[in-house]
Amino acid sequence: MTKASKPTNDDVVQVDFDFRRQLAKKVEGNLASFCYQCGACVGDCPAATYSDEFNPREIMLKVLYGLGKELMIEDSVLWQCTNCYNCAERCPQDVKPAEVIISLKNMLADLNIYPPAALKIIETFEKTGRTAPLSPAVDRQRERFGLPPMQPVPMDEISKLLEPATDEEGTE
Amino acid sequence: MKPFAFFPGCLIPVRYPAMEFAIRQTLPKLGIEIVDLEGESCCPDPIYFKSKDKVAWLSVAARNLTLAEDLGLDIFTNCSGCTATLSEAYHLLKDDELREKVNKRLKRIGRKYKGTSRIRHVTTLVRDEAGYDAVRESVVRPLDGMKMAIHYGCHLLKPSKIMNVDDPNNPEVLEKLVETLGATPVRHRNWYLCCGKACQQEDIPLNMMRALLSTVKNEEAEILCLICPTCFSQFDHGQMKVSKHFGDDFHIPPVYYFQLLAYAQGVPYEKLGFERQRFKPESLRRFATSSVQVES
Repeated sequence: MTKASKPTNDDVVQVDFDFRRQLAKKVEGNLASFCYQCGACVGDCPAATYSDEFNPREIMLKVLYGLGKELMIEDSVLWQCTNCYNCAERCPQDVKPAEVIISLKNMLADLNIYPPAALKIIETFEKTGRTAPLSPAVDRQRERFGLPPMQPVPMDEISKLLEPATDEEGTE
Repeated sequence: MKPFAFFPGCLIPVRYPAMEFAIRQTLPKLGIEIVDLEGESCCPDPIYFKSKDKVAWLSVAARNLTLAEDLGLDIFTNCSGCTATLSEAYHLLKDDELREKVNKRLKRIGRKYKGTSRIRHVTTLVRDEAGYDAVRESVVRPLDGMKMAIHYGCHLLKPSKIMNVDDPNNPEVLEKLVETLGATPVRHRNWYLCCGKACQQEDIPLNMMRALLSTVKNEEAEILCLICPTCFSQFDHGQMKVSKHFGDDFHIPPVYYFQLLAYAQGVPYEKLGFERQRFKPESLRRFATSSVQVES
């Protein structure tokens, strides 16, 4: 019988606590810390059922290890989540994996990484205050149903809300 | 009539005004007064903008809620996405620290979030304020025996501790509402599946929709009744993609519940905008003359 070799530092996962601290700053990002890897989130996950890559338990494990580099990339697996919240229903620890995944997407956004389709909708909202663009054709359609034209959104107010906190307001 | 502030959102008034028309036609007949808000924006959406910045997302949601607070009214939504965003904001802003952060931003525009207006999706508003019997009594042409598959979608029910709408594992509100029309609800085997719209890898929603539409077809349901405009776009426009991709021909028209109710209450088929759908619920026409009293 051969003697097991002594583990070297290369075999041991180094937890990146800085990544976890950054995630914890996002709303509900800290919930991942309560994950004990039971896998209850996987069974009812529609994305996991139909994708070979997406697995909410694995994503929570990467978060626990702080393996951000595997998630903070273009075409990240995070954007395969359907946001159905089945995982949150099943989680015995109230981790809300879907919510942690959105917090991770907030970190992706900080790196200016978005899927093109998502970015288009985000930009439409930031420009117009709506996610579906207005046009004269829209108002003509509405008129057919006896509905008044769409009212513009007070963008002066919305733009002010989108600005990050000032020094005076304190950190977020 | 009991007044409620109406939050129409973006997708329904912009892309599917027929759904808004149906809401405005049906609710007053159930004793619900619709009060329009002024200056509301996108909720903002719980998938895309929320993924950019949760604090900004919460701040805009809170601003929308303050518009109803100013009127001293509860707010009702007709879109599951708006319901998710506004309900989550209501839930998260019970946290003092988060509420303070958001109120610092709202202070820039002279507003303050108080948390005094509750959020109700229109289906639960009808269930809780009018009741199923009132809906049944408002029907002048029952859709007797029409088999309707049910699609709840995700955000009406989950996360259940925040939405507080129904049992997410065994909900009944949509079945009950379909029954009030005289129709027969069908809970197909894949009823709990998501529409997949939020997923940015196209193969996943295509496969999901195919699985769902297959079970609806197996149950011989004539239409797919749903209550969310995003699910609608998936099962209408998206159904074409599924057919093209897999060569299946399901031909299952998705229909927003309140258009069905408007029809059952006597609004003519031609006025309900069905001609704009890829898959048209033509089978409804067989009830066209079954009414005692049909509106002109």
